[in-house]
Amino acid sequence: MRPFGVLDDPRRRILIQALAAGFFSSAGTAAAQLFGRSPGALPAGQSIYRVSGNVTVNSQSATLKTLIKPGDTVETAPNGEIIFAVAQEAYLLRGGSRMVIEQPPERSGLVNALRLVTGKVLSVFGKGRPTRILTATSTIGIRGTGVYAETDPEQTYFCTCYGVAEVTSNTDPTSKDTVVSTHHDRPLYILAKGKEGGRIRRAPFINHTDQELMLIESLVGRTPPFVFPMQDYNAPRREYP
Amino acid sequence: MRVLAAAAALLPAAAPGIANALDFDFTAARVEASLTADDNVTRAGGSDALRDTILGVRASKGLTLPVSQRTRAIVQGFVGGEKFHKYDGLSHNFFGAQADFQFRSSGEFGAATYSVFARTQAEYFKSDLRDGYRHAYGVTVLKPLTDRVTFLGALQQNLSDGRSEVFDNHNTALRGNFDWSLNNWNTVYASAEYRKGNFVSTNCRNCDVNKTLGLVNTAVPHIIQDDAFTDTIRDAYRIDANVIIATLGYNHAFGSGQSLDVSWRYATSSLAQPAVAPATKSDFAYTLNQFSLAYLVRF
Repeated sequence: MRPFGVLDDPRRRILIQALAAGFFSSAGTAAAQLFGRSPGALPAGQSIYRVSGNVTVNSQSATLKTLIKPGDTVETAPNGEIIFAVAQEAYLLRGGSRMVIEQPPERSGLVNALRLVTGKVLSVFGKGRPTRILTATSTIGIRGTGVYAETDPEQTYFCTCYGVAEVTSNTDPTSKDTVVSTHHDRPLYILAKGKEGGRIRRAPFINHTDQELMLIESLVGRTPPFVFPMQDYNAPRREYP
Repeated sequence: MRVLAAAAALLPAAAPGIANALDFDFTAARVEASLTADDNVTRAGGSDALRDTILGVRASKGLTLPVSQRTRAIVQGFVGGEKFHKYDGLSHNFFGAQADFQFRSSGEFGAATYSVFARTQAEYFKSDLRDGYRHAYGVTVLKPLTDRVTFLGALQQNLSDGRSEVFDNHNTALRGNFDWSLNNWNTVYASAEYRKGNFVSTNCRNCDVNKTLGLVNTAVPHIIQDDAFTDTIRDAYRIDANVIIATLGYNHAFGSGQSLDVSWRYATSSLAQPAVAPATKSDFAYTLNQFSLAYLVRF
């Protein structure tokens, strides 16, 4: 007679050993990396929803357990991308970017301040939370808005996906514009050089999607104001015959 | 009169909706050019299966009409053609229109988009018998399952109205498609479809007389000499069949508004009506492989 607790079926033994080794939890993580997961509000104590490629927070390699808070610098290598949330704000930082989530100065009236040194970021901000975004060529004041920015020393691309943004050139205070947008209505280029009063120009809609906006809004428990996503930046697909 | 009075009473209430409906946006124009290798353009079994390569082009343009916050209509027109390399009688041009009415409950990431649609198109072949109209109507549901996987389900009725009654077909299709985004620029997709209804198979009349006799006995009276093929005498038979179609594809986007699409489609058909001697069901069974390369531009 076999003593109690001794497994007689080798398949059961393998299964129990696999469970003990955490095989299925790591398989689940791998599956989530591969096939994604349904986005929702991040649990308390978690900042990062997804990180891929080389990404650092304050020069330390970022993992899903890394916490991000005001004052931190987030940097992505060209192959990197990170999706994260801080308080009521959520961000998708694309490859080759460097962004500082600044502590706004006291008595500035600002809740958030963001400095996009270089690269590309899609951001959504909580309602009634005045925010300032500083890029290489512009300063943008926003409130309860979804925005997308790309910046380099020559120019900034800025799309007010929805909400209100006040855009000012860093090099020419006479170049300024207020954008009231419901759905990517008036993207802008803010140039480092050019004639006075003319450094802000109309731009096309590029490099971001409504699906990405819906995703990052869901991380902070919100939905964007639009219902139907635009397909203008998704890859064209074949009609099914 | 009562109807008119009711309409007059409803008009003020409907006015905002009408105004919204008139506030439309044009959708981007789309052009697609494709090259397809098809190993069974006759949709027949054994040696009756003929290979060909097909050059295709299709352009479309539409407009979106918001109806309410959660509903909208999309209307699009399209035009295109397919040029068959060997069997030119199958080459054709087409134009048509499609209307979709969509509902989405919210802007939540995972919210499904439900749609009813109707499509109609006119087709003009190099041959005569297939000329006519094709219509389709149905329902679809589009649902993001995760941030990388999106599901599309469709149930549709297809109708065709050719010059010959052999090409007057109707069938019902149930389809499921999964899009798997590897990243922003690369998507793998897989779909499975089940179609049940009428289909046309073209077979050589004199190659196997016994087979031909069985095909005639089974399909009569829906038989006609197919004028799309001139290499030998071939007859088109309309039969009831079940078709299973599987598609595996890959789409690579280039920047904004351009992509390259590679796909493989496999279909297998089985007879869904009694085979009359000397035919057996296997005489009507066929498989088909289509390899397709397409370049798509939106502007």
